[in-house]
Parts: sequence; structure tokens; C-alpha cells
Amino acid sequence: MAQDSVDFSSHYQFWMQKLSVWEHASTLETQQDTCLHLPRFQEFLRQMYEVLKELNSSTIIERFPTIGQLLAKTCWNPFILAFDESQKILIWCLCCLINKEPQNSEESKLNSWTRGLLSQILSAFRFDTKEVDLFIQSLGYTPEDYCPGLLKNMVLSLVSELRENHLNGFNTQRRKKISLPTSAVVCLWLRHLPSLEKATLHLFEKLISSERNFLRRIEYFLKDSLLPEAACHPAIFRIVDEMFRYVLLETDGAPEVLAAIQVFTQCFVEALEKKNKQLKFTLKTYFPYASPSLVMVLLQHPKEIPQELWLQTLKHISEMLREIVEDQTHRSYGGPFECWFLFIHFGGWADIAAEQLVMSETESSEALLWLLAFSYSPRDGSLQRAQTMVELKAALIHLKKLFRSPTLSAKDLQAVAAESPDRDPRPALCQQLSRRLLLNFLLWAPGGHAIAWEVITLVAPTDEITHEIIGFLDQTLYRWDHLCEEAPRSRKLARELLAELHASSTSQLKMLGTGSARPRCSRGPADSQAQSLNVSSPTVLPQKNQQ
Amino acid sequence: MESLLQQLERFSEVLAVSRTAAVSAWGPAAVRRAVQWARYLRRAHGRLRAALEGRRRAGPRLGAWGGRDVVLSARLLGNRALGAAAHRCLLRLLFPGPAAPAPAPAAALQARLARLARRRGAVRLLLRGGPAEDAALRTQAELLLRRLRDGPAGGLLDGLWARAPRAAFLRAAAAALLLDPAGPAPGELLRWLLGRADALAALCRDLPAARLAALAARHPALRRAYLRQLARWGCRLRYDLPSGRWEAAEPAHVSWAELRGRFLSLARAPPPLKDAALAALEAWSARDGAFRVRGLSVWTDLLLALGPGAGTDSLGAASSSGVLGAGGCRLARPGPARSPEHAHFPK
Repeated sequence: MAQDSVDFSSHYQFWMQKLSVWEHASTLETQQDTCLHLPRFQEFLRQMYEVLKELNSSTIIERFPTIGQLLAKTCWNPFILAFDESQKILIWCLCCLINKEPQNSEESKLNSWTRGLLSQILSAFRFDTKEVDLFIQSLGYTPEDYCPGLLKNMVLSLVSELRENHLNGFNTQRRKKISLPTSAVVCLWLRHLPSLEKATLHLFEKLISSERNFLRRIEYFLKDSLLPEAACHPAIFRIVDEMFRYVLLETDGAPEVLAAIQVFTQCFVEALEKKNKQLKFTLKTYFPYASPSLVMVLLQHPKEIPQELWLQTLKHISEMLREIVEDQTHRSYGGPFECWFLFIHFGGWADIAAEQLVMSETESSEALLWLLAFSYSPRDGSLQRAQTMVELKAALIHLKKLFRSPTLSAKDLQAVAAESPDRDPRPALCQQLSRRLLLNFLLWAPGGHAIAWEVITLVAPTDEITHEIIGFLDQTLYRWDHLCEEAPRSRKLARELLAELHASSTSQLKMLGTGSARPRCSRGPADSQAQSLNVSSPTVLPQKNQQ
Repeated sequence: MESLLQQLERFSEVLAVSRTAAVSAWGPAAVRRAVQWARYLRRAHGRLRAALEGRRRAGPRLGAWGGRDVVLSARLLGNRALGAAAHRCLLRLLFPGPAAPAPAPAAALQARLARLARRRGAVRLLLRGGPAEDAALRTQAELLLRRLRDGPAGGLLDGLWARAPRAAFLRAAAAALLLDPAGPAPGELLRWLLGRADALAALCRDLPAARLAALAARHPALRRAYLRQLARWGCRLRYDLPSGRWEAAEPAHVSWAELRGRFLSLARAPPPLKDAALAALEAWSARDGAFRVRGLSVWTDLLLALGPGAGTDSLGAASSSGVLGAGGCRLARPGPARSPEHAHFPK
């Protein structure tokens, strides 16, 4: 006990000093200092109450002669009063000071003074002019009615000003009237859902604009919006993710949205890792509808896995997904759409799968074929998917034969992507996938560089396909940067091709609405998760079956 | 339920007394009864409100009953006249402390009082960043609308006009009309305002030009009334030939400068309002003969003062039906028609 009281009195001195400093200086630094100390000070107040409530008023004054000062300074500090339960504990402490039987005028004066402080906390301070006071009164209301409304409106105008500042922050001239640290913005979002939604919508507007956004730019927008960092709070993550899901459905799986989700997840994981020491939330809180083991595997960054093991990891992912999708008893993890939606967060794996398929010397792995087919068309039935896999396998056999040849002709390769006259027109999906494999081939095969441009012009007669190829190249370069992939020749080729395609694409590329083949992700009755969104049926874009 | 309403009325008397020196007569027992009564009424209020929903039988004050226990507590706490013993009893009742074995209502009141203190602290905090006039005005407007919604307006607005500080009332009324024009409460407010000439005149006089322009833009009926008022003011100005200025006949009248300021504000507003204001000026100017000579018609001079962008060149072609119908100076002051022969010299 003696040790406690020694501790307590040193704390007492510490806080007395702090309060005096805070009282006399009202600079930004002292205010920040106050805010940082609020929780500890509240603890101190609690301890003090425990001490005070055992003593009578006279003993208190004997023991702590300066307690009046301390409590008064606390009363005058609006930060303390506005924080959590501090005002309540302060009131309890003041009540302890009231003397039940004042023996002399001193004690009476103290009582009177304490009463004054108590009323100050709850009633004195006038918020407005006397005139306004009288007006409120004539309406039949009291300051107690006025205060909550006033607070709400003050906060609302702050919020709208903040939002404006935050949005205007993208412009070169920033209005720095209020600039909050990230933690404060996150706090605001946690408490005021509409501002989070507005911030996310604004981000979407930027991302899905009429101008093509490269992944680098998307990454910049995302980081600037503070959303990935804020999403370390599961509540914020869930809401932003939900909005992404909605947009994805509404745009029927637009590649731009897919790219944005991927980059968002990447930035989010980066931010999460930075906060790793404070990580309090399990993965399940971020992805409640997904299988935890699947999430764990997907979260691995390919950079952290030796390249030799990529194939194995991909097979593992494929098996897990397949199990969930094809096995009816795994309904708790949602239907194909849910699985797919989770998977595309980490869409880089699908790209790596395509690469691996093209580059590997051995027979194409069924697991990887399945993964690729699934990632492009999650809602296919098993028969349709099997058919797609067969097509892909055939294309791959063709490509692998040519992989090592030093000289190639464009005609050889055209057959892979183009239609064969003696077959039915291929579904757009297969064409898109074949193009993907073909492009990978061009980038990696030793003889691919020479004929790359020629092949592309043959294979991309329309703007839409050109657009698709540009997207692929951009995504590939972006991925290689993040994986610190060397491959200087492939990189160079990719960059050159990208530049050429940009220069040659003359017509305006419409980002959405032109119906380039997309992963068919429109909802079906099996997707209970998707239905719970209460979304009107997604705009179904014309599915072109031939180009 | 009748008895409950009666109790509410009696309690409102208690509430009124709680602020006065009369509480010096209250002992601890009286305090206890008052607080318990407040708590009971708070619970009953919830049930009463639900029962009266849609019946509108309740007295005008029903809406405000939700927080009366907090009001009573705050008033008693701040009342110096309350005796020491009574005050100590009050503290025990209101702040039983953390280990309160007290029944739930006591803890609930303690929590609400803490919340009030917290909110007050927050307001003080935010006010450090500068005065929050917009937020304050908005809050007053919201309370005005709430009062209108909660009870029969009947004599409410007349009563306010008679008793409340007029400037504050008018500012709040204007803010309320700008808040959200839809809904019955603002409609009632607008009707009252339009029907009350002195209030309308005071509104037009006291509010800043920009605010009136915003109001006029939002509410066409107000726009018409405002323009009529401006017409009245304009007619009272006399041209002083020696000094070459328009003077107010009496110091209380609106000055030329102010009139011009009003019209400048209107001319800056978006098209429907801007066009209406300019059309009115042209109509009045035409009625005065449309001579483009200064000093003959205040309206012509105003048009000229608004600058080249305002008004059309064909002053004479303005239609006489104009925006106001039968408004303009002719009705405001029957008197000699202005014409070049009747220049007014200062007396």
C-alpha cells in the first residue's frame, strides 16, 4: 500500500504539471500532446477516485492540498471533458470533495466552489449570444436541447469540409485548411459511414474514367485515397470490398474493375504487413465467407516463394478451389461466384499460371488448365469447362512444339488464336484464353521476339482486342516489376509492343460497354452471397461469339 | 392518459421553478421527489408518445418531453439557491458512482448527464477552431422546424413574433426556409411570413442581400413579395438635383446604396431569379417613361448602375404586365406620375 501511495503521488505531480502546460499553451503541439495522453489521464482519474472515495473531505484536503487546482484545470480542459468517461469520473471526484458538515467558513467556501465547478461541467458555458439563448427559450427548448444539434451540425460541416479537402487533394492546389493525419481520417470513416462511401465512390470515378488507367496510376490513386491502409480495419475492408463487388457485378466483370480489385488487395496486404506487429484481426474477419486455408495460400506473395515452387503452389490453389466449387457439401464457402471473387483479389496467380503453362516443358498440368479456365469463366458447368480445357491443351501442345525453334513464322502461330475453317466458331472465352497463351509465348519464346508484332496485328483486328492486349502487357509489366522479375529481353519486348499498340490505336477506346469478352460472372440462383446484395440485375453486355 | 398529461403540465411548472430562487425552500425530500418524478415521466413519455402518434391530441409541448429529466438535473445543479443538504441529496441521486446498486433508471440518468457533459466539452473544443455561425444557425433553424412539426402552429409563429428576439427569429426562419424546402413545416412558415406584412418587411430589411437572393431563388412566392418590397423602397427615394443623388426622404428609409446592393445581388443569381429581377426593373423603368436620363426614374438609374450586362437595350419595349402584375410604384404611392416636367427639388 505504501508503494502504491508513493506511485500515486508521483503520478499526481506528473499530471498536475501536464495540466498546467496544457492550460497555458494552446498550440497544435500541446493539443496533440493532450490527445495522446487522454486515455492514461482517464486511468489516473479512476485511480484518484478510488483513493478519494475512502476519505472524507477534510482528509482529502490535508492529503492533497492542491487537489482543487488539479480538478479545476481538468474542468477547464474541453479535451478531457469530451473524452470517453473522463467527465463522469471527474464529477465523482468532485462529489467526494463536498463536505457533509462544514465546520467553518473555509469549508463552506470550498463546498461552494466545488458546486460551481460541477455546474460548470453541466450547465454554465453559453454557446451563443444571449439573443439566441432567448430565441431557443421562446421556442420552448433549453440549452440541453440545443447542444446535441449544434454538435451534430458542427461535425457535419467539418466532415464536408474535410471531404472537399480530401478530394481536392488530388489537384495540384491543396487547400490546407484542415489536414488530418491518416489515423484521424480512418477514425472518421469508422464512425461516419457516408464519408467512407463517398470516398470510395470518388475513387471509383477516378478509376473508371474515360481515359485508360495504367496499373501504376491505379496504384497511385489507391494509395492516395488512403483506403488500402484504412482497410486494415476489417469493417472498412468489408465495406470497400462490398462496393467493389457491386461495381464488378454492375459492369459485368469489367477488366478495369478486376485490375483495380487486384491492385487494391495488393496495397492492402502491403499495409497489413507494415502493421503486422499490431495485427489484431484474424483473416476470417476480412474474408468471412472464404475457406481460411485457401485465403492463407492466396495471401502469399509469389515473391516470397521460390520460383521452382510456384507450380506446386498453383496446383494447390487449383485443387482447393476446385474442391470448393465442385463439391456440393462446401456450400458454406459460397458458390462459384464467391470463390471466384476471392480468387480475383489475388489475380496475379492466374497470370502466373498462364506463364507457367506456356513455359513448362512437361505436359500441361490439368490443375493449371482448370485454374485458368475458372478464372476466366467461373460459372461454366463442368462439361463446358472440360471442353475449354481440352481446347487450351491443344493450343498448348501446338505452342510447346514451337517454343524452342529459333525461327518462327507468324502463320504458325496464327492458327493458335484464329478460327479454323472446319470447326464451329469458337466461343469468345477460348479465343481470349488462347490469345493470352499466345502472348505469353511471344514474350518468352526465344524466337518470339522477331515475329511478335506481326502476330499481334494478325490476331488483333479490332480495337477491342487491341485494348485487351494493351491491358495484358501493362498488367504483365506491372507484375514483373513487383516480382523483381529480371528477363530483360521479355521486358523490352513487352514495352516496345505496348508503345506500338498505343501509337497505332487511333479510335477512342471505350472502357466499358463495348462488350469485349469478359469473365461471365452474372449471378445465378446458386449464388446466395451475391443475391444478398440486393442489386438489380447486372447490365449484361452483348456477348460476341465471333470477332 | 389524461392524468398523465396533467402530470406533465404540473411537472413543467416544477421545471420552471427549478431555475428560480424558490428552490431554496426545497429540502432533500423535495429534490428526491422531483428527480424521481422526472425519471418516471421520462419512461411514461415513451409510451405516451407511441399512443398519441397520429392522433395529434397532445399539447404542443409533447415533443420536447424526452429530455426533461436532464434539464431538471442541470438546472438544479446550477442553481445557487438550492440548500446544501438538498444539493448533497441531488448529487447522490444523479451520480451514484460506478458501483451503483441503484436501479437502472438512476444509472441511465447518470449516463445521460455524462453524455451531456461530453457533448458540451466537444462543442467547446470545436469552437476553439473558430465561431461556427453556420452550424449554429442551422441548429436554430432545425429547432424552429421541429417546434412547428411537433405541435399545432396556430398561434405559435404569431407568439414568436411577439415575444422572441426578432432578429434571431427572422434569421432562423430564413435558414429554415433554405434548409429543405419540401415538407409541411417550412410551408407553414412561408405562408405565415407571406401573410404577415410587418414580418415580411422586417425580413427583407434585416437580412443580408445575398441571403434574400438565395431565399428568393428557392421560393417563387417570396421572390414576388421581395420584389414588391423593393419597389416600395424605391418609390420612396427622391432625386436631389444639386448633388445628383437619390436620397431617402427619411433616415429610416432604405438608401439608394442599399437598394442598389440588393439588385446587384439579384443580378448575380442564377437565371430564373436574375431574369425576373431585371424584367421587373425594366417594366418599372418603362412605366416611368423609359427616358435614359439620370434622375428621372430610380429604376432606370438602377439598371444603368447594374452595368452593361444587365437589362436589355430596348427599354421601351418591356412589357407592362411584367413580373409583378399590378406591382410597381403606381399602386405603392398614388401621386403625381413622374415625367420630365416634374423634377423634384429638395424642399
